Amino acid sequence: MRIGVYICHCGSNIAGNLDVESVREFAGSLSDVVVSKDINYACGDQGQDEIKKDIQELDLDRIVVAACSPRLHEVTFRRMAQAAGLNPYLVEMVNIREQCSWVHRDAYHYATQKAKDLVAMGVARARLLNPLTVESVPANRDVLVIGGGVTGIQAALNLADSGIKVHLVERDSTIGGWMARLNDVFPTNDCSMCVLAPKMTEAADHPNITLHTYSEIQDITGHIGNFHISVVHKPRYVDVSKCKGCIELCGSVCPIEVPVEVDGGLSLRKAIYLPMSQAVPFVAVVDPEHCVGCGLCVKACEPEAIDINQKEELVEFDVGAIIVATGYHLFDASRKPEYGYGIVKNVITSMELEQMLNASGPTQGRLVRPSNGREAKRVAFIQCVGSRDETVGNPYCSRVCCMAAIKNAGLIMNKNPENHVTVHYIDIRAGGENYEEYYIRQQEKGVEFIRGRVASVKEVDGEAVITYEDTMTGEIVDSTVDLVVLSVGLEPNTKADNIVDYLNLSRRPDRFIQVAHPKMRPVDTHTRGVFVAGCASGPKEIQVSIAQGMAASARAQGLLSSGSIQKDVMGVRLVDELCNGCRLCEEVCTYGRIKVIDGKAVVDELTCGGCGTCAAACPRGALQVRHSTDEQILAQVRAATEDIRETPLIIGFLCNWCSYAAADLAGTQGVSYSTNIRNIRVMCAGRVNPSFVLEALKGGADGVLVAGCRLGECHYISGNARAQQRMDVLKDVLAELGIDPGRVRTAWVAASEAGKFAGEVSRFVEDLEIMGAIGSELDK
Amino acid sequence: MSTEPAKLLEEEGFSYLTCIQCGTCTGSCPSGRHTSLNTRRIVLSARRNRDVYHDKDLWMCTTCYQCQERCPRGIRIVDGILTLRAESVHMGLMLPDHRKVAGLMIDKGHAVPINDDGRAKRKELGMDELPETVHKHPQALDQVKKLLELTGFMQLVTDEGTENS
Repeated sequence: MRIGVYICHCGSNIAGNLDVESVREFAGSLSDVVVSKDINYACGDQGQDEIKKDIQELDLDRIVVAACSPRLHEVTFRRMAQAAGLNPYLVEMVNIREQCSWVHRDAYHYATQKAKDLVAMGVARARLLNPLTVESVPANRDVLVIGGGVTGIQAALNLADSGIKVHLVERDSTIGGWMARLNDVFPTNDCSMCVLAPKMTEAADHPNITLHTYSEIQDITGHIGNFHISVVHKPRYVDVSKCKGCIELCGSVCPIEVPVEVDGGLSLRKAIYLPMSQAVPFVAVVDPEHCVGCGLCVKACEPEAIDINQKEELVEFDVGAIIVATGYHLFDASRKPEYGYGIVKNVITSMELEQMLNASGPTQGRLVRPSNGREAKRVAFIQCVGSRDETVGNPYCSRVCCMAAIKNAGLIMNKNPENHVTVHYIDIRAGGENYEEYYIRQQEKGVEFIRGRVASVKEVDGEAVITYEDTMTGEIVDSTVDLVVLSVGLEPNTKADNIVDYLNLSRRPDRFIQVAHPKMRPVDTHTRGVFVAGCASGPKEIQVSIAQGMAASARAQGLLSSGSIQKDVMGVRLVDELCNGCRLCEEVCTYGRIKVIDGKAVVDELTCGGCGTCAAACPRGALQVRHSTDEQILAQVRAATEDIRETPLIIGFLCNWCSYAAADLAGTQGVSYSTNIRNIRVMCAGRVNPSFVLEALKGGADGVLVAGCRLGECHYISGNARAQQRMDVLKDVLAELGIDPGRVRTAWVAASEAGKFAGEVSRFVEDLEIMGAIGSELDK
Repeated sequence: MSTEPAKLLEEEGFSYLTCIQCGTCTGSCPSGRHTSLNTRRIVLSARRNRDVYHDKDLWMCTTCYQCQERCPRGIRIVDGILTLRAESVHMGLMLPDHRKVAGLMIDKGHAVPINDDGRAKRKELGMDELPETVHKHPQALDQVKKLLELTGFMQLVTDEGTENS
């Protein structure tokens, strides 16, 4: 083995605060190191050229660069190695700037010693580095979009316009989703169908879109790049190629009448019907639940389109990526019995109001009291029905109901300015572009906003009476109204549960699909190759859903553009002969990327994120993170404790994303702390095997710090929580052995919390000074 | 019968409809710190056509305009209050103290006539003891009275209205 070590001055950034020459000399004394140099700026062209030259002339096979944070220049030096013909993963960076010279400005000798230790650790790890190659597999370039609401339609159109073949699968017999059921939409009061219908038609006619309506996903197997999809086309009992959508002939002879669910039973349909007047595809469907099979429609249909013997059909295809746009369902208003839905006649839901206000709806746009069909003039909107309500398990805000109620209240005032419309709210949330202005305009029309959640709706002498506290005045009010509209919240679509299972998606506590990061990765899921858009990941307005549909299509397109998918080199690999199928790994992999099959763990290497939580759990060391093996980490621990020159000594395990970043930030901001810590970078706190901690203590370290992202903010969902669990158990074990459990500490630090990190280290040092040297407690 | 407050305010261009009850007005009101005046409640009552005319708090506003300056919805709160007061007086509603002040206006041509302290202070500041008003020009008092009569002020404030407060 021929290792080259390069100590960067970084001008005076490093050289000004520690003795570079002494570190260089020390590095040269380490075994396997054949050259040890100091360089003014290693990252500069000259510096890189010098290292490249050495690689080639001195035949170096490992490079250690002691400079700034690897988070800054690891990629730079990997590229440099590659250019010199060395595998890029044989380069190890040692952080002696952000985590040494910049944070120990007034401790020249201690900083120098720390730098030497860090270099020794880096060299120890470098010896065990393996050449890695980024493997790639060919990917199918087609995309599956699940859900034919406005989000799915938009995603499909964007992909199709870019030349990608799309399968758009919709459960209903028409695409359009909830938006197709709405009347006018805020904040422009466009007629919903006027803006949606062109997109529906375009999706149906697009040469790159295969529409699967009235279809259910039956199974999804495979993974990113190569998903295999099974879809069942449910029988409509109508031949799509023959039906003209005239509905007159078949519908008029059908003897069955069924109340239309979406308008609260205000109108009736037949057992053969068009799902809506602008259905896409424009084809009738037979409702098998209510059809009595009399066959009258079969005779009446001139094009002979009705086929009562139609069977379901299984269709299978492959795609490279999936967009989940499965939307929401509405809160069942009868779950709030105090609001009288289904009991008090003049209580309707917001969706039923949308139908009523619609000129082509059951009342041709007339606002009526369902009790007697007379015009409704006094209308009360009750907000947050099924939202912000822990009693029904929905603590979240449904986000669209305020604006929807404001819009409908304004439309009712437009009908007649003498109408009396009140909106009963907890908080008005009009937080979109032009929303507040829209709200003001409806107020100007005379819509009255009353703060206070309505307590109950009762029927008194056939009239609906709402009771509430007006929290602005403290008065308790009973108010008789003609119509009560319950602004029902949006809930996760339980009909999409199977999709969530097939794709191994995770859910948030509010049961909506969890995205990879709520801010930075809003349409990515934790499953590679699967994106989520629209209300499937939480309540959203139409404009935001459309934007997300576009975003998801762009993500899918970017992923598949090259036609191949790269594996993550950080991923986990199974050492087959060591695995005994104990299933512990299966349990800790929050992503479900490991399955034990026939007594052996099988890692989905293409989708493994490389956190290493499984590797830390494996009792036999059968799972190894490719670029972060147990032996590599243990070698760093051993090097740090081999020749202890500073006490108390802390070994720190810092997660790449937050705590290591916080330690870097402490450097950038010049927040100083004790020199006593030697950090080891891991991808996740969950990677830390308790045996690493024991190895450190055994070697003579006085304390071990395991630091990760703040709890609940782990980049791998719950790796830090696993770490916490493991360290808690380990502390108990230490206590039993007579070792002070305070020697193992966890810290959950966000990337921005430089001061918090520095404080944790300094406090730990102080506490360890009181505790005394490791093992001293055994003599007591 | 009086005009409904909301309608009156709308006619005068001081609509309270867009109030969001944020309370900036009440928090800004110096009078409200010491009296029962709650501007937000007055605005709400007027917007809801409650009988604000009988509300004594209507008269606790010093018309400093702080609330109006700060209202995030740009509602002309004080202008509205003045409109409501005027309507209230037209209904014969006036506090006895205000009626007294109005009486002083009629008798002396000043809501707050000068007194000995005022004279001394003016002298100390090197000013004439009397300002250039009816105080210095008593013959103008008749003209003031005439104006007050012509504008209907005199009748408005001296008539003991049917509704008293």
